Amino acid sequence: MAFIRRCLPLLIKGVNRIPLAKQEKSIHRWVAPTLMEFKRREKKQGGKIANPRNTFLEWNLEAELFAFGKRLGEDFDSSLLLQAFTDRSYVIKEEMKQKEMEFAVNMKDNRELSDEGMKFMDEYVQLYLEAVLPKFPKEGIISVKKHLLSENVLANISLHLGTKDIILAAEYPVDNYTLANTFKALVGALYQSSGEDKTANFVRDFVITQLQGQDVNEFWQIEDPWTMLTDLISKTGASIEPRLIGEVGKGTLLACYRVGLYIDKNMLSAGFGESISVAKDMAAREALKKLFGTEENMHPINFNLQIIPKDTSRSQHQIGSS
Amino acid sequence: MSNSNLFMKTGFVRAPLQNGVGRYVCQLQRIVFKFCKSHGGSRGLRDFIEQDLVDFAKNNPSVVVYLKPRRHRSAVVVGEYLNGDRVWMSVNQKTHSEITKWIENLRTQQGNLSEIRLRKYQYTDHPSIQGPWTPFTFKNPELNLAELPNVKFGENNRLPISATEQLRLMFEKQKLSDVKTAE
Repeated sequence: MAFIRRCLPLLIKGVNRIPLAKQEKSIHRWVAPTLMEFKRREKKQGGKIANPRNTFLEWNLEAELFAFGKRLGEDFDSSLLLQAFTDRSYVIKEEMKQKEMEFAVNMKDNRELSDEGMKFMDEYVQLYLEAVLPKFPKEGIISVKKHLLSENVLANISLHLGTKDIILAAEYPVDNYTLANTFKALVGALYQSSGEDKTANFVRDFVITQLQGQDVNEFWQIEDPWTMLTDLISKTGASIEPRLIGEVGKGTLLACYRVGLYIDKNMLSAGFGESISVAKDMAAREALKKLFGTEENMHPINFNLQIIPKDTSRSQHQIGSS
Repeated sequence: MSNSNLFMKTGFVRAPLQNGVGRYVCQLQRIVFKFCKSHGGSRGLRDFIEQDLVDFAKNNPSVVVYLKPRRHRSAVVVGEYLNGDRVWMSVNQKTHSEITKWIENLRTQQGNLSEIRLRKYQYTDHPSIQGPWTPFTFKNPELNLAELPNVKFGENNRLPISATEQLRLMFEKQKLSDVKTAE
């Protein structure tokens, strides 16, 4: 009995050492191998395969076109809408097919519509920007417009309106050029079917609104802000005076200078930088933003102008400072 | 993030294409109802099709509705969105009212939201409103008129009181009280 009593603690210790309920961290060791296997299989079949949506059983082009117009809240002429969605590459492909089968059906592609749409957008966006950014110079307006009507921006708009699946093109998925071209053609088709006012509102709602949350100054690269500022100021007869109003950490890596620009002892703007010339440049940029009415705290751009803005003379827009 | 979210796409709370700034565009572009004409599992979906589908199509002309009867297969609803997302949802054995609610959910969302892990519950393009900090940002305006060197601005009062100093102050205080009691 005494022997057992002496051995009992040892026995219990031994039992404790054998883990009954195994505890481990739940690290999913299968994740990396699974992902690698997926990638290997994808590579083997030659990249991701995207089946054209219009080859599916559940596809009705007529219904899609009807819904497309309703989605945007516009009344498109149905034949014009179909024409806007027909890309040049598709027409070429179809004509080749028809030659083989020896019959001919005339198809119209969207080149004309797209040209017309682009022409309208070009004019309208310019007028609209001039109306909502009255003090912004012409070169700036042109560069903002260039951004808005660039292929990437238009393709993004086009994609998010659901044109990707409806476009009749030789390839699938369609590239950015085709997407942008289709959007231009849509604007052209709307112009022909609903007129100027509706098209203007359409362009405003889908193209101009892309400026929301963006800084318009970023689209216009000013090479030499100081020269531009002095030119503008000298036109009014005043002279501008840069003053060093702060310097910290001179001669160190973290040096910071602050330059203020003054007109008749009134501060126009201030800028900072790692050297005096950079600080002066930054101050000049700030001053230009103030003159152009595009400061960081500017009132948001109005996206609700109803009418087509008239082309007003740009003389008063040159400088509206002081 | 838990391990079950490893395969999920990540994203932020965003509206596609500034939706609503210009005009609102319903983001559901087409919906496909797949069902069996005889099986009991499709009963709810068949009821929905019989009673509500025409109204649904009338109220949402921007959504293309397809019906796809499949013999002896379970009931499925597939929604496709303008941003390219595709939501596959099994509605087998679901009742009519459940399906109505799920379809309302599909109609009003803007993509495959249930398969996105939100990195944050808020989003901003401009994390800083004031711009970058400089040493001049919160400068005391009093400094503009002060004549330097100045005792007020030159004193070193940023550090907490040291233990030695605390002891010294306590000692001074005690001495004062000693004097008082002596009187």
